[in-house]
Amino acid sequence: MDKEIRFSKVTHTYQAKTPFAQNALDNVSLTIPAGSFTAIIGHTGSGKSTLVQHINALLKPTSGSIDIFGRTITPNTTNKNLKELRQHVGMVFQFPEKQLFEESVIKDIMFGPKNYGASETEAKSAAVEAMRLVGLDESLEDHSPFDLSGGQMRRVAIAGVLAMKPEVLILDEPTAGLDPRGHKEIMDLAEYLHDQNDMTIILVTHQMDDVIDYASDVVVMDQGEIVKHGRPEEIFAAPKWVYKMHLDLPSSAEFAMKLMDAGVKLTKTPLTIDDLAAEIAKIAGGEGPKE
Amino acid sequence: MKDIIQIKDISFNYSGQPLLFDHLSLNIHEGEWTALIGQNGSGKSTLARLIDGLIVLKSGQIVVDDLTVNDQNIFDVRSKIGMVFQNPEDQFVGATVEDDVAFGLENRRVPRDRMHEIVEKSLKDVGMWEFRDRIPANLSGGQKQRVAIAGIVALSPKIIILDEATSMLDPRGRQDILNLVARIKAANNLTVISITHDIDEAAHADQVVVVNKGEIIEENKPENIFGETAKLQSLGLSAPFTAQLIAALKQHGIDPNSQYMNDERLIAWIKKFVSQK
Repeated sequence: MDKEIRFSKVTHTYQAKTPFAQNALDNVSLTIPAGSFTAIIGHTGSGKSTLVQHINALLKPTSGSIDIFGRTITPNTTNKNLKELRQHVGMVFQFPEKQLFEESVIKDIMFGPKNYGASETEAKSAAVEAMRLVGLDESLEDHSPFDLSGGQMRRVAIAGVLAMKPEVLILDEPTAGLDPRGHKEIMDLAEYLHDQNDMTIILVTHQMDDVIDYASDVVVMDQGEIVKHGRPEEIFAAPKWVYKMHLDLPSSAEFAMKLMDAGVKLTKTPLTIDDLAAEIAKIAGGEGPKE
Repeated sequence: MKDIIQIKDISFNYSGQPLLFDHLSLNIHEGEWTALIGQNGSGKSTLARLIDGLIVLKSGQIVVDDLTVNDQNIFDVRSKIGMVFQNPEDQFVGATVEDDVAFGLENRRVPRDRMHEIVEKSLKDVGMWEFRDRIPANLSGGQKQRVAIAGIVALSPKIIILDEATSMLDPRGRQDILNLVARIKAANNLTVISITHDIDEAAHADQVVVVNKGEIIEENKPENIFGETAKLQSLGLSAPFTAQLIAALKQHGIDPNSQYMNDERLIAWIKKFVSQK
């Protein structure tokens, strides 16, 4: 089956046919390749969340269409028969732990597969596998999810989505509010699912260092339009343009800009700490990297 | 320098759980910015709640600006402390931004015209006066935190506690809020305690206290703590960007002879280094 995600001239208008009508997406055409790790960036209100909610038809386009898993979502698509699509496309919302509700961790994770028609045994084995994936110890199965730490609760919520064995995983700001260790664990999980399970990962984020460290494909949104789509190094090659989009640079590029403001002449915009250190060594004519 | 908060030999546990603090002591200096850092669950926020008397000690004593935190003094203690929480939505009560800032003043029966003056000044201080008629729920995360800070400034406390107050904000919003707090602190000679796992937020502090599993494992100036990259990582924290860059420079044969410098100092050092070559 074709696993590419294709937006064709998609417009989404909130409060259509009222004086408050507002285009949240404006004539968007976009292809997200199967198996990619795609980051969606853009300042608050640029249309990122609206865009990703079209991928599993939580929102329908006002005009245009989306092709995914052999389905075409159009303005006339009804909510019937969307189950299969939604099983293929897992969505982890912001602060997903707010949606936990069951009395035990395992029941909460089993809820999704059971809802999609899995038997008790199938749901249990999917849930156990999902717990293993997100690194939750099996001893936590019968704990109340509400007794866990914030980072653990978030992993329970993500396991609930993974238990449905999606092929596309949408993560909307998955690390907001987590400490650095929790942050790295969640991002490494996304990388693992991408590399080992061939999942397509779509990450909505404000963290440019994550874009550099994890994504290979970046979509930049502004006022409901896609203003750039390319590899991370293409997106961040023009720092002034990035600032104009009200976005941050990766930390290394940001520091490089400060160095240049102070009169240090760098020959390129480094995106990682090692790039930056190498660039400083180069312009200083210093020794090469130590082996 | 006066110790505006004295935490003396305290013990505390949540009911049915083992002791989180076991004979812990800590002093906070007046007029300083102290960062309490540690990973989620280390006890940082519990300490803040004990200081504000929101939860009760098992043993020991906490003194805030010469007042012991107890039932009798609780309202006087709280009038000295303003707390900004992680999620500002948890603390909004007013229908509009202006009402929200006025709420605390109404509680203290501040006369009406005086109240208007204070609300206006507080909202102007945080750059939110133009938003006075807006509904708090419809503001961005950074704007909500500004309103929460205005509500605190209006009550002129001596101490501001930021409890993960910037952790929901994007990097730019975070920097804006920290700059705002630094400005308000300087203008009003406040004491600031920031509870955070963001090392770059802790870099604003005069003094850093590292908390792990309910114990204070280090108390020092940022420059003496931030160079210990491996130790920070073992505590679930990350090293500041400049410490990571210094480590990378060493890999490239460049040695700034220091484990940590802040941005300005490292930029000055690099500038000098490349121009000498």
